[in-house]
Amino acid sequence: MKHQSKLNPEQQQSRQVGTEQQARQQPALEFATAEELLRYDAAHTTVPAGVERRLQKSAGDLPRPKPAWWKRLWGGTKP
Amino acid sequence: MPVNEPVAEREGSDEALGSLAPSEFADLYAAHSRAIYYLTLRFLGDPQKAEDATHDVFLKAFRKMDQFRGEASWRTWLYRIAINHCRNLQQAWHSRHLFSNADEAVWENTPATTDSPLRVLETKELGERIQAALDGLSEEYRLLLLLVADEELSYEQVGALTGQSPDAVRGKLHRARKAFAVLFKKSDPLPEHEASIKT
Repeated sequence: MKHQSKLNPEQQQSRQVGTEQQARQQPALEFATAEELLRYDAAHTTVPAGVERRLQKSAGDLPRPKPAWWKRLWGGTKP
Repeated sequence: MPVNEPVAEREGSDEALGSLAPSEFADLYAAHSRAIYYLTLRFLGDPQKAEDATHDVFLKAFRKMDQFRGEASWRTWLYRIAINHCRNLQQAWHSRHLFSNADEAVWENTPATTDSPLRVLETKELGERIQAALDGLSEEYRLLLLLVADEELSYEQVGALTGQSPDAVRGKLHRARKAFAVLFKKSDPLPEHEASIKT
């Protein structure tokens, strides 16, 4: 059975216009340079959790690596 | 005790020579995985390939940890592995996708924050437009912009990663910015409320 809207055509049109206006009123994102835009994009990108899980499994099958030679000599800095 | 005496000689055991603690590698991953994933995502233009590439880059890093010379930062070292890895992949594919659905999975996997649904939709479109613009650039310009966008890297480090002087980086960056802006504007479906770049 086809779902019937509770709104009459006028109300539906009014709602649609309202949504479009809302979309137009969204603050514009403005970036001074391409790098700024890419920085914004990178900040909104998440690494899929699957990568870490796979990495744990793959690395778990390998012997533990030795630290870099300089770290063995002088101690290391945090990664 | 002399500071520069090798740890192994000081303490005389394999444990002192030491293997990398899992927590240290986890720290490395936590600190740099987003940057590496983002580079591979936008360089390759495919979220699945970027996921595989990020895994492979960190696995290579894990295997070659003892080759890290400390002359570069960890970030630069990882970027170098990632760039070589991506180039090898591209050579193997022999063809590039000009347009892809690169951002679908990324934004679907992004946890909802305080953004409204409309905002998320806009951000998704933004990602698609960025990818389309980057795909239209030469590999050199694409890589340059992605590396310069990382605030942790200096022009000197970007130059070292791309095999050129810092001055050459600055010069090419200007042209890469302009080319990107043109391509980005071309892909703008609704100029009145979309993101924009000043030119």
